[in-house]
Amino acid sequence: MTTAMTTQEVTYLEAISQALDEEMERDNRVFMMGEDIGILGGAFKVTEGFLDRYGEWRVLDTPLSESGIVGAAIGAAMMGLRPVVEMQFADFISCAFDQITEVAAKNHYRWGAAVPMVIRAPFGGGVHGGPFHSECPEGWFFHSPGLKLVAPSTPYDAKGLLKAAIRDPNPVIYFEHKFLYRRIKAVLPAEEYIVPIGKADLRRTGTDVSVITYGAMVYVALEAAEILAEDGIELEVIDLRTLAPLDTELVYESVRKTSKAIIVHEDHKTGGIGAEIAARLTEDCFEHLDGPIVRIAAPDTPVPYSAPLEEFFLPKAADVVSAARKLAAY
Amino acid sequence: MPQLGESIAEGTIVKWLISQGSSVGRDQPLLEVETDKVALEIPSPAEGVLTEIVVPEGETVPVGTLLARLESSPPAKVINRVGGMVVHLKDQGGKADTHYSPVVRQLAEKHGVDLSKVPGTGSGGRVTKKDVLDCVGHQERQKGKSEVSEAWGSQRDELVPFTPMRKTIAERMIASRRISAHVATFFEADFVNIDKFRRGRSLTYLPFLIKSVTDAISQTPMVNASWEEQGIMIKKSIHIGIAVALADGLLVPVIRDADRKGLQQLAEEVRDLAERARAKRLAPEEVQGGTFTITNHGGLGSLFSTPIIHQPQVAILGMGAVQKRAVVIGEAIGIRPMSYLSLSFDHRVIDGATADRFMGNVKAGLEHFDWEKLL
Amino acid sequence: MEKGNAPRDIKRSDLFQMYYFLRLTRSLEERITALYRQGRIMGGVYTSHGMEAIGVGYASALEKDDIAAPYHRDMGAFLIKGITPGEVIAHYLGRIGGPTKGKDGNVHMGDLNRGVFAFVSHLADNLPVATGAALAFKIRGERRVAITNTGDGGTSRGDFHEAMNFASVRQLPVVFFCCNNQYAYSTPLKWQMAIRDVADRAKAYGMPSEIVDGNDVAAVYMAARRAVAKARAGGGPTFIECKTMRMHGHSEHDAAKYVPRELLEEWKHKDPIVKAEQLLRQLGYGNEESFREVGERVRKEIEIGVEFAEKSLLPEGPEVLEGVFATEEKVLS
Repeated sequence: MTTAMTTQEVTYLEAISQALDEEMERDNRVFMMGEDIGILGGAFKVTEGFLDRYGEWRVLDTPLSESGIVGAAIGAAMMGLRPVVEMQFADFISCAFDQITEVAAKNHYRWGAAVPMVIRAPFGGGVHGGPFHSECPEGWFFHSPGLKLVAPSTPYDAKGLLKAAIRDPNPVIYFEHKFLYRRIKAVLPAEEYIVPIGKADLRRTGTDVSVITYGAMVYVALEAAEILAEDGIELEVIDLRTLAPLDTELVYESVRKTSKAIIVHEDHKTGGIGAEIAARLTEDCFEHLDGPIVRIAAPDTPVPYSAPLEEFFLPKAADVVSAARKLAAY
Repeated sequence: MPQLGESIAEGTIVKWLISQGSSVGRDQPLLEVETDKVALEIPSPAEGVLTEIVVPEGETVPVGTLLARLESSPPAKVINRVGGMVVHLKDQGGKADTHYSPVVRQLAEKHGVDLSKVPGTGSGGRVTKKDVLDCVGHQERQKGKSEVSEAWGSQRDELVPFTPMRKTIAERMIASRRISAHVATFFEADFVNIDKFRRGRSLTYLPFLIKSVTDAISQTPMVNASWEEQGIMIKKSIHIGIAVALADGLLVPVIRDADRKGLQQLAEEVRDLAERARAKRLAPEEVQGGTFTITNHGGLGSLFSTPIIHQPQVAILGMGAVQKRAVVIGEAIGIRPMSYLSLSFDHRVIDGATADRFMGNVKAGLEHFDWEKLL
Repeated sequence: MEKGNAPRDIKRSDLFQMYYFLRLTRSLEERITALYRQGRIMGGVYTSHGMEAIGVGYASALEKDDIAAPYHRDMGAFLIKGITPGEVIAHYLGRIGGPTKGKDGNVHMGDLNRGVFAFVSHLADNLPVATGAALAFKIRGERRVAITNTGDGGTSRGDFHEAMNFASVRQLPVVFFCCNNQYAYSTPLKWQMAIRDVADRAKAYGMPSEIVDGNDVAAVYMAARRAVAKARAGGGPTFIECKTMRMHGHSEHDAAKYVPRELLEEWKHKDPIVKAEQLLRQLGYGNEESFREVGERVRKEIEIGVEFAEKSLLPEGPEVLEGVFATEEKVLS
């Protein structure tokens, strides 16, 4: 697996797996902890085969103790290791909330002890997982200084950002979107690369409306952009990639050009990352706005299970199309 | 805003027939809406009280926009994933918006633009960033000219805001020019037989032309076609669109299956459609589905024209004024009621020979048909 | 260090050093309390009054490379790990001379280079973290040990149980202390747990446990020494419950009227410093004269500390923005 695949397409999931493998191979300080990551190879098989390759002291199957695992990762990180903790589902990260926000996030600020740690959190809906296997909990941590949050949308970024996260001297929560795991494929560079944390990316250039988004919603935005292009409305799609710290530079640059902004995310609307971006745009780009800033997000309800409910819950390309039409004509 | 026809993207609230707070019965007329095609009364979807008018009169909004809230039992609930905009529209007055966005103010200040003079093309006549930039560009072009010209937007000029119809016409004309490879060809037809036949009958030239066109189409079906992604779609039905001039624009109502109709029926349909077009009382489907268009531009004396093709059709025929002219007939010179026929065709689909063969057939029909039989 | 389980098996200098740290802890905290009452320290002051033997005892059992993850009744452990009285006072005063440069207060202090973790107010959070340090030692095959402590109150938290369980499952070199001072703020043991001994909790995790007199520094030290040696040898974790009594309020602003006076009277006679002096006398390791000398030495050290702290500057407001994120050089290698 460490041999670079130059022509073969890899899935988003395989890209994550490659990053872990390459980093464990490269740096023996890197080790993994999580529920069912060893013998089973992870609930999604991201770490399949890792136990055999790296042994039970670098691939640790743990008890159901999210808080305990994260706490242990913090201790190990302070001692110079590079733990990568897997939350089986991002939803379960709530159990570790205290260790993440109170210990990991504040540690360096309080007493200068760095916590180089990664928490992998498979998040997002569209997989009929219901209220406890579909959440987008990034908003909880977005509000917590001292944490870095990344959410790649492509195999290239999935690999490059995970490698960057593992090498970062800070706690990084790596939100990997379950819906994209096996649906998105790409050919990855043969050579080693990382994607720096803190840099957004332009997925499509356009002149009329900036769409700021991340994760699976990137594809929703791109689908909408295709539809609107037929009517001569050109969306500029920005994939944030890193949620904290936010790359406001690229966002501002785009909105200053288009003067109109839509923020799309799968997390609930109230208090989501979109709210923060909207607020910053009014603070820093007010003089450049030519229309209201629009948020398209999931409603303020838990993620429902039944197909029509979940279908309604998740933002869709049609939502973006209708909002962008209105905004373009505004 | 209801979907008043498949191609309709927006509509303007002409008038609320029920005032806010008043009761309305189911199917009772609630408001008047004008689209770029038609003006319609919208019946109330339910019985209840009109608790809130969200979009005021004069406002143009996209299809699907919440117009009002009607309290029925149970109260109609409106779920909108997209926030902000509806609320904002509510704040706007009926006339052109006098609230300027930050970027509009900023640009106006920077370029010294008097915003009250800038025509707004945004929703509700709002002045957009693009409007200001267009205005700045215009000013700069004016400055570039050596002669002293009047300042753009001076008091003596009248600014006529775009009507929805004007915007639609503009968009479609430009689009058609871009899409089709326009070529024109001109023929001349002798209307002497038609004039003889019309004597004592209240018939315009149009039904005769329609008849000749449908007959020529059946011989040259390629002009009754459309350009599709997969190929050229030759239409089996012949639906003739008739361009009707209005005080403030133009509509193209459609006569369906024109080839199956007699002169008399065609004449009646033309009259009815034209009248209702001018009154803006056409149903949306009556302006859709045409396969070939005729424009009678000769009414005010025009002789030739190069009309723009009505997409996705591939040809449009214009008829000039019928005038008595000296023409050579055999070896003699005679006086005949003559008219020039202009055909704009899409050279992507139709080659010159095809177009001319078609026009030859139209001319032949006009000159030689036995109209009694076609009545 | 020597083997054996009787106080006599402790080296004279070691025991005397513990006595010194008991006195230093007591005096330092008394000084801090005085500064608090003078209005010079803001926020809470939490002391280990009457419980000094625990932090002093377990930290004395550690090697330099070992990690201590104390909680707020462990001032002695911080001092033994090398945090100076001056730094502690500067810390309480919010000066940049303290280990957190004013970012945190009271007993929330630590220094990775000196092997002592800063805990957070959410008690028992330091247990999984200490377990993680032990995990790092085990993964790297280092003969190092982590030791941690929490109160009786903290043992009701999930993190206590998650840490104990994980440490036992993976047989990690960590020693868990519990300072059972009978009150979690105002809540007596009977409303905290339905067991008599906190040590019983360890059974559920298959972890050996011990109960010691928390006011007897020699007993605490020897229990810690046994557990640390076992952990270092790969024998896994141990849980040690120290029975003691909180002689002051939860913090210095708490009059602790909810604690029966008789209980405090009873425990007054078990004061750890008095106990240590009795033992030193008994073993012939010390007398009134040497105790007075220690007192004098401690007094001077505190004065030097106060002077250091008062000279230390307060941070500038904008420094609040510094240090949210770490740079690579801050990572321990």
